This record gives sequence, structure tokens and C-alpha cells, in this order.
Amino acid sequence: MVMLRKAMLIDESRCTACRGCQVACKQWNDLEGWGYSHTKNTGSYENPPRLSPQTWTRIKFNEYEGSEGFRWLFLKEGCMHCGDPACVHSCPTAALKQNPDGRITLEPDLCNGCGYCTQFCPFDVPKLEVSSLLTGRAKVSKCNFCQDRTDNSLIPACVKTCPAGALFWGDRDKMIAAGKKRIEALQARGFRQANLYGENLVGGLGRLYVLIEKPQAYGLPAYPKYPYFATLWQNLVHPLGKVAMGGTLLGVLAAWIIIRRNIKMEDVE
Amino acid sequence: MNEQAQATGHIFQIRWIPKYTFVERLLHWVHTASFVPLVATGLVLYLDFLKPLAQGEAGEWMRLVHRLTAILFVGEPVIYGILQPRRLWMHIKEFSFERDDLGWMKSAFGYYVLGRHTDMPPQGRFNTGEKINGMVMILTWALFVGTGLVMWFGKGLVPADIFRLMVMVHDLTMIAAVCMFIVHLYLALAHPLMWAALVSMRFGYTSASYAAEHHAKWYYGPKRAQELYEAKKKAASSKH
Repeated sequence: MVMLRKAMLIDESRCTACRGCQVACKQWNDLEGWGYSHTKNTGSYENPPRLSPQTWTRIKFNEYEGSEGFRWLFLKEGCMHCGDPACVHSCPTAALKQNPDGRITLEPDLCNGCGYCTQFCPFDVPKLEVSSLLTGRAKVSKCNFCQDRTDNSLIPACVKTCPAGALFWGDRDKMIAAGKKRIEALQARGFRQANLYGENLVGGLGRLYVLIEKPQAYGLPAYPKYPYFATLWQNLVHPLGKVAMGGTLLGVLAAWIIIRRNIKMEDVE
Repeated sequence: MNEQAQATGHIFQIRWIPKYTFVERLLHWVHTASFVPLVATGLVLYLDFLKPLAQGEAGEWMRLVHRLTAILFVGEPVIYGILQPRRLWMHIKEFSFERDDLGWMKSAFGYYVLGRHTDMPPQGRFNTGEKINGMVMILTWALFVGTGLVMWFGKGLVPADIFRLMVMVHDLTMIAAVCMFIVHLYLALAHPLMWAALVSMRFGYTSASYAAEHHAKWYYGPKRAQELYEAKKKAASSKH
């Protein structure tokens, strides 16, 4: 049986930036808060200022100057759970895994801290907890759609807690349909830029956004791309390298067999 | 039996002459001692059957050993260059290709694979094959160090695309270096015509008659070597 892809639908037109999702995420996943981040006021209501190894989701406060004056565009940041996950492909330890239902989960015990995923992610999501800069000892972490909950047919903690009704969890095609319906309603109400983000990006995202302005206004890349070098590296360099190294080994073996017959040690100066 | 042996009446008589200095040999073996663990700890990320060694605690150890040996790998030629800059420059000149290296390339297959003796032009202290190895070594060293430093210290500081490129080039460099290493290892350990190579890299000395045969340009000097080569070719063609 083919498992249906799951997805999270995030209706940013409903988000009030209460940040209940941030708290629920930390609470359920046992992540540190103030003790870890010690954030300072930077002149914005948003806090913490970025995703971190202990902050897997957060509300970004985009300050937007539209035709009707200032407004906030809230964005619930976190792992996009791409359909074509460069992090999984670049992970040399198989710590990152794409599940049949599309969730990109992480096995921390397998991670060796190389950090390739942090550099190959088109959205700059996975974060390394570096315990020593010199030795490079580190562990990566990111949103796993509350793997332990969703494995047991529960919805992710952030979805569960959202009081604004902005978060939904379910089969991806249903989420897309619901998102499109919401876009239609928003457009009918005059939000002419309303759009659904992520339906076909990078293999189809597992995190879909209903946005009321263009993605760029939220700081989202309009056309995120699966990294070119990931394709080249994984699909060309790696197989060719194995052929080259194996070929050299075989060639040398053949040379050894041929040459020991052709050249006799007693004739050698 | 060679001339030397005939003169002394003893086939085991070898006259040993110095070929490599102590520091040269030290450089060679420190390079080996850092290169081999670097490849071993790097390959765990590349070859699927080694993947268990890349995971978790084992993988953390691999990364640590990789970095510790990298310090040796980066440092050893740099220290050599500081202590003996003129020798380092001499090596670069020694490894540089000249016109008559084409002659080696034309004859190499017949000489090293089929065992035909006559048509190999005289070689310097390093023959063309060894020059290729030397040049590949210098080039891959520079690439390993350049890309490796960015991967070690540049995470998050350089644009992601640059980091990705560095990862790919690091792997490409490894592939080139490992292919060269496999050939180098075979020639040093098992090729009958290279028997003196390992001895001289171990003890610094080579057989005089071996040097006269395989490194004539170094042994006799370029002019005399060329004369002897021409004479040998003439003698061979007059036989027909």
C-alpha cells in the first residue's frame, strides 16, 4: 500500500503570533528556552530571533509596508519537509530519513555532526549544536513533525495547541484542497495576492502556507531550488568516483598479473 | 649479471649511492602517515559498506581523527618549505615536465608492461611517471587543504553554494588522489623494475647500476646520458 503523504497547512492569514506553537514545540520536544537562548530585545516583537538547535519552530514578525499602511506578516518558520530532500541525500550517516508519508525525521544517535544538511538545505533550516568549535563535535536538530506523536496517529504539538485555528495536519492532498479553498475565500474578500506556498516546490513541501502577500514579502524564496551541487555531487561525482577507483584497482591487478609474466626479476638491473 | 658484478666476480655486489636526504624521506613518510588515515576516515562517508563507522559515536571519532591528521597533513609540507625553501623549489622544478617526457610516455607501456629495454630515453632523479605522481600530489594537496579549511572553519560564514562546491571538490580531489595512490603503491611494492624505489625511500640509498639504468640523466648528467642513449640506440639498430 502506498502511504499518503502527510502535510501541515499553515494559514498565515489566521495567525495572531501568540507563539503558543513555539511553547508547545519546546514543551513536547523537551527543548530549552530562556536558559539556552538568553535573547535580547532587538527592536522587534519576535523572539527568539532565529531558529536554533533548541528552537525548531518560531513565529517570524515580518514588518510589511503595504498600500494600506504598516502591518505584520507572521510566518511560522520550521522544517519544510521537502519531497526532494537535499538534507537526506547529503547525510552520510542516514541519520536523516524520508519516511513513506513524507516526514523528514532525524535519528540523533546516528548523527555524527558533520553538518552537511545545514549547508545543503535550500531553506537553511537544520541547526548544528556545536559543542566544540575546534574538534567539530556537534549534533544537528530540526522539526520532525513531532515524530513520536504522528507515529501514533496524534497531531503535532504545535497544531494541537494553536488557538487561532491557523494550523492543520492531515493527508497532503486534503491540505492542498483546503488551502486552495481558503485562498479563494481570501481573494473574494479582497486579498488579491493570496497564494498557496509549497505545493510544487522542491518536490512538493510538507509544510504548506496560505499567504496573503507574495512569498518574498514573508522572506520566503519564491523559487527555492534543490541545490545544483547536491545533484552533481551525489549523482555524478560519487558514482564516477567509485568507477574510477574500482577501475584503477582492477587495472593495477591486471597489470600485476601481466607484468610478473613479462618481466623477470633476474633480468632486471 | 651486470658489469659491476662481473668485475667483482660476485653477483650480489651492489654499490650504494645516496638518492634522498633524511628530510626528504621524513617528508615522504609523514605524508604517508597522514594521508592513509585521512583517506580511511574520509571513505566512511563515501562507501556504503563503511557507513556504520560514520554513524554516531564512531563517526564522531572518525571526524576527530580526520581533523587531527589533517593538521599533520597541512603542516608537514609547510614546515618543510619554511626549513628548506630551496629544496622545495628544487622539487617543484624536478617535477616539472620537459619536452623529453613525451619520450617516456611513448615508451612507458613497452618498457614497464612488456619488458622491452632499448627504447626508454634517459630519466632524471624522478622519471616522468614519478613526476606525474609528484605533480598530482602537490595539486591534490593544495585542493585538499583549500577545500578542507573552508569546510572546517567556513560553515555558516561562506555562502552555502560555496560550501557545497567545496564538499564536491574535496571528494573529487580524494578520488584523484586515491587512484594515484593505488598506482603508486603497486609500483613501489610489486613492480619488478621499481625494486630499488622502496629501498631508497626507506634508507636513502640506491644501487649505482640501477641509477645508471633508470635515472641516467641524474647519474651521468644530461649530456653524457644522451650520448650513451644515442650510442645504445645505434648499436641496437646496427644489429638488425
